[in-house]
Amino acid sequence: MDGIVNWWDYLSSRWDLVGATLMETIIYVVTVTVSAGVLAIVTGILTRNRPFAKEMSLAIASVFLTIPSLALFTIFIPLVGLGFAPSFIALFLYAILPILRNTVTGLDSVDPSVLESARGMGLTKSQVLLQVQLPLAWPVMLAGIRVAALLTVGISAIATLVAGGGLGDFIKSGLARLPLPNSLEAIWTGVILSLALAFTIDVLLRLLGRVTTPAGVR
Amino acid sequence: MTTVTAPLPTATTRKRRSLASWTSDQLDLIVTPVLALILLILLVVVWTYSTFDLTTERILEPSQLARQLWQQLYVAFFSTVIVVAVAIPIGILVTRESAPKVKDTLVSVLGLGQAIPAYGLIVLFFVWLGQGPTTVIIALATFALLPVLRNTIVGLEQVDTSVIEAGKGMGMTGVQRLARIELPLAVPVIMAGIRTATVINVGMATLAFLIGGGGLGETINAGLKLNRPTAIFIGAVLVALVALLFDFLGGLAQRYLRPKGV
Repeated sequence: MDGIVNWWDYLSSRWDLVGATLMETIIYVVTVTVSAGVLAIVTGILTRNRPFAKEMSLAIASVFLTIPSLALFTIFIPLVGLGFAPSFIALFLYAILPILRNTVTGLDSVDPSVLESARGMGLTKSQVLLQVQLPLAWPVMLAGIRVAALLTVGISAIATLVAGGGLGDFIKSGLARLPLPNSLEAIWTGVILSLALAFTIDVLLRLLGRVTTPAGVR
Repeated sequence: MTTVTAPLPTATTRKRRSLASWTSDQLDLIVTPVLALILLILLVVVWTYSTFDLTTERILEPSQLARQLWQQLYVAFFSTVIVVAVAIPIGILVTRESAPKVKDTLVSVLGLGQAIPAYGLIVLFFVWLGQGPTTVIIALATFALLPVLRNTIVGLEQVDTSVIEAGKGMGMTGVQRLARIELPLAVPVIMAGIRTATVINVGMATLAFLIGGGGLGETINAGLKLNRPTAIFIGAVLVALVALLFDFLGGLAQRYLRPKGV
């Protein structure tokens, strides 16, 4: 109990710092998820009728997830320097696969006879895509976006090692000051706020899923 | 979804079909070595053509790199053994028909677990258990357990239930069905679990340096601290190459070691 009280004291005596650091992680999550989402969804749509290109893009996206986080965060340093840039690039590369894979799965799982009927009803190809195929695939795509966002929360803690900020800052400073007072509290702050952020994102994206999924698909 | 009506094969679809027969798993076996080769060439070029100052030379001392590589593989091996020994039995237990209905909750909780920063986890284990390779092994095993368990559960779920029903109809007992039908069918899932655990652990072992556990992360960290981008780059490429190599070997094993007929 003492530990929790101490931690709360630690947290409440520095809301400014906590808020600013949390904001840095949120910025990573939003920019990475949106940019990787756009690239992955566009790729998924463009390659939906080209099996080889589709499998190739999946294979390329999946190879990035094999590369260890510290390596991917640091490999671009000679090119782009320290800070936000190398962290963003690494997180972006990691986030592509979950969204791309679910976009592909979602679009593929739409029954071809449904698409045929839509064509038969006189819809153009782009209308079929926008009004039939994408809405049907959306719940699966959104699940991929959720995975990408959660992944970004977890991995972005590494950004602090390349001076990229974010909640990892608390873990780094806590580790550096061990066993001085407030060091353990700092580490827990980094871990617990990451999990709290992940939980919030999870709930928000589930809500978004409810709101944006057409009634007929649910 | 209902039955899929295949279009009649025309010349173009037939050509497409042959390209379509490539799956991304098979392409992985090409893309991974190609990327590894590109990185290897970059490594050789950078190592040969850049002039190292004394500090960089010290960081990149080959005997030191060899020691770090050994440390990295050592912790990765033992944590992978632990993950596999824990995750697969639990995965099998919770997907039994007779098991309490905890699996869906478990899968979504484990999904959320992806957001746990590995960095924080390693540091917390350090606070709890102190310095040394054992701490690193336990921290890595805990971290990799979540995705491997999740994949095992999801994979076992996908085993065709009608086959199990057929086993029941033939009068097989629960144990017989598990041993003769479900486990052989689950071998690909288990192998995928071992591969995932290996790749995660080999990668995460890069963070072992944070708590004095050695590994190739030391080289990257020394480069960061002493502001030597060449050393950072070479360290990062080495780490990436090791991970790509293990992923490639895992992919080969998955492809060639599965039971006949599965």
